[in-house]
Amino acid sequence: MDDLSAVVFDTAERLLGALHHGAGRWEDMTSAGQGRGWATIEEAGLPLALTAEEHGGLGLPLADGLELVQIAGRSPVPWPVVETMLANRFAAEDGRTLHEGPVTALGLLTADQRAFAALARAKQMAGALDAILSMTVAHVQERSQFGRPLAGFQAVQHQLAVLGGEVAAGRAAADHAIARIAEGATGDAATLPIGVARVRVGEAASRAAAIAHQLHGAIGYTREHRLHRYTTALWAWRDQFGTQTYWSRAVGRLVLARDAGDLWPMVTAA
Amino acid sequence: MSVLAFPAPVSRPQDEALRSEVRAFLSQALAGRTSLEKAESWNGFDRDFSRALGAKGWLGMTWPRAYGGHERTAFERYVVVEETLAAGAPVAAHWIADRQSGPTLLRYGSEAQKRAILPRIAAGECTFCIGMSEPDAGSDLAATRTRAERQADGSWRVNGTKLWTTYAHEADFMILFCRTSGTPADRHRGTSQLLVDMRATPGLTVRPIADLMGQHHFNEVHFEDAVIPADALLGTEGAGWAQVMGELAFERSGPERFLSSIQLLIELIAALRGSESDAAQAAVGRLFAHLVTLRHMSRGVAALLERGEDAAVHAAIVKDLGASFEQDLPDIARSLVDAEPDLASTDAFAAVLAYTTMAAPAFSLRGGTREILRGIIARQLGLR
Ligand SMILES: Cc1cc2nc3c(=O)[nH]c(=O)nc-3n(C[C@H](O)[C@H](O)[C@H](O)COP(=O)(O)OP(=O)(O)OC[C@H]3O[C@@H](n4cnc5c(N)ncnc54)[C@H](O)[C@@H]3O)c2cc1C
Repeated sequence: MDDLSAVVFDTAERLLGALHHGAGRWEDMTSAGQGRGWATIEEAGLPLALTAEEHGGLGLPLADGLELVQIAGRSPVPWPVVETMLANRFAAEDGRTLHEGPVTALGLLTADQRAFAALARAKQMAGALDAILSMTVAHVQERSQFGRPLAGFQAVQHQLAVLGGEVAAGRAAADHAIARIAEGATGDAATLPIGVARVRVGEAASRAAAIAHQLHGAIGYTREHRLHRYTTALWAWRDQFGTQTYWSRAVGRLVLARDAGDLWPMVTAA
Repeated sequence: MSVLAFPAPVSRPQDEALRSEVRAFLSQALAGRTSLEKAESWNGFDRDFSRALGAKGWLGMTWPRAYGGHERTAFERYVVVEETLAAGAPVAAHWIADRQSGPTLLRYGSEAQKRAILPRIAAGECTFCIGMSEPDAGSDLAATRTRAERQADGSWRVNGTKLWTTYAHEADFMILFCRTSGTPADRHRGTSQLLVDMRATPGLTVRPIADLMGQHHFNEVHFEDAVIPADALLGTEGAGWAQVMGELAFERSGPERFLSSIQLLIELIAALRGSESDAAQAAVGRLFAHLVTLRHMSRGVAALLERGEDAAVHAAIVKDLGASFEQDLPDIARSLVDAEPDLASTDAFAAVLAYTTMAAPAFSLRGGTREILRGIIARQLGLR
């Protein structure tokens, strides 16, 4: 991580954290509030995090740009931060001018762009998973039943241990794919790790959301509580830019195209 | 929550050069082994194979040269271990010694113990067993009752029973976890580790226990007024608990925690090769994703260990996720391929499916049960 990245991470974490907590019910937000929020996001340069310097972007190393995507995943806000990051990257790649203002729909993408967007979603999901874990840990420590905090019950502890394992695995899978792409993997050599990341993080999302809702009880099922910002997003994201089934089949097809004896070499090369 | 972040492994050209060398060696050394024999990798006991690995310099790899080691990196060792297991090599004759008893000796052993034993382990000549579990002390190891009493001449008199001791019947040595003062009510206070010579200890008997397949791997080990010399104390008297916890971290950290079923995955892929079935492709893709992710996390544990950092929780996460992956495999395999599982079958898939189905319950027991591991993870999350 270089120095610029460290500054940007720090700013993004504070900025998005504040916007996330200040946003209240998204549907109640005034258009003035909408405008002010986006202006601060733009001022911090976040929409340009995945765009190269020569195209007017921040010029961060790829892994650092995607670290910002994870930070965005941890603090969901009513503006399409990650979509705009991706739209600007693709516009620059295609020689188009960068976007002014937020972009909600990415339009037609090439296969490589779609795969890259899928990878970014995986990292964004890792951020949301991280947030779900902290929220759930905090909740079971605060909430008491039967005269003690929920955290004191072994059944609850074990559910959180499972949640923790899923969060760790989803994040490790995304980071591994990013390292491969940063090294310059293309074609099947890119499809494999990106597919692995999407399949693993998608499964983590399903399990984590289920456990987080269970341990939050009824309060977590309300519109009022912010848990749904994460879980509804995860349920949608796990099937965007290629559904989980699409990616697992893509990986499976590559594996089954080769001899069984090639399995282990494929694993060590993936 | 940074505790759940696994560091990226460092991939170095020297590791990959070693990998090719190991693969070439294994394809020779294991030619002619059946799929079923490969599936039994963990339990395969073959002193010749272990000696051959030792001769290659692939045991005791990270230890100092003065003790027969090769002063190589944790990653180089990792390469050898994962390649050996992925190839289905018989590892039981060196496995426990190389993985945990040797490192424990290196850390706590006296100079004489280290000089006498470590070079033999590194040569693949010396087999160890783990004397932790007892009839009333499984998950609750601190309840251990086996007692060693100091005699007037400084030697120890040991009474008690160890249980589930894998390969005690072949082992040259046991590292015995026992009580040297106080009572089980004192929990981990007053426990110690002794280095027991399995070949020359009067009062020691080993009785076989058959596993559910009828195979003999583990044992009951009885100590009846067994006499163990004074210089057999390992480390510090009374510090047994801390030492044994360190040993368990070695036991839980490696690639063995998700590779136990890999032969079944290989047979599954052979059976489905080129399949156009959606379900088959999706299932194989999912299994592959799990395997790659587990390996990546496990190499992250190796990176932590190489930096000298505490990896106990990371290791617990990998072991918990790994055991679930290994245990899910048989059911997924049987849902995709129509074959009757049968140990005696000449069809490799059917035989390996039968074996792995019967081996699987042990995956989340040996080396710490699923519940114990989840307790460790929960503690790290601040819940206990
Ligand atoms: C194949 C195999 C090889 C082995 N080899 C060795 C060996 O070489 N040396 C050796 O010393 N041991 C060995 N073991 C023993 C192994 O370490 C123990 O089986 C294990 O520690 C569990 O102890 P137990 O069998 O007494 O089960 P118990 O401790 O009786 O546990 C039974 C069940 O209760 C659960 N449980 C126990 N306590 C709690 C708790 N506090 N909270 C929630 N759940 C709990 C456990 O998780 C488990 O599911 C081996 C076991 C197997 C299966």
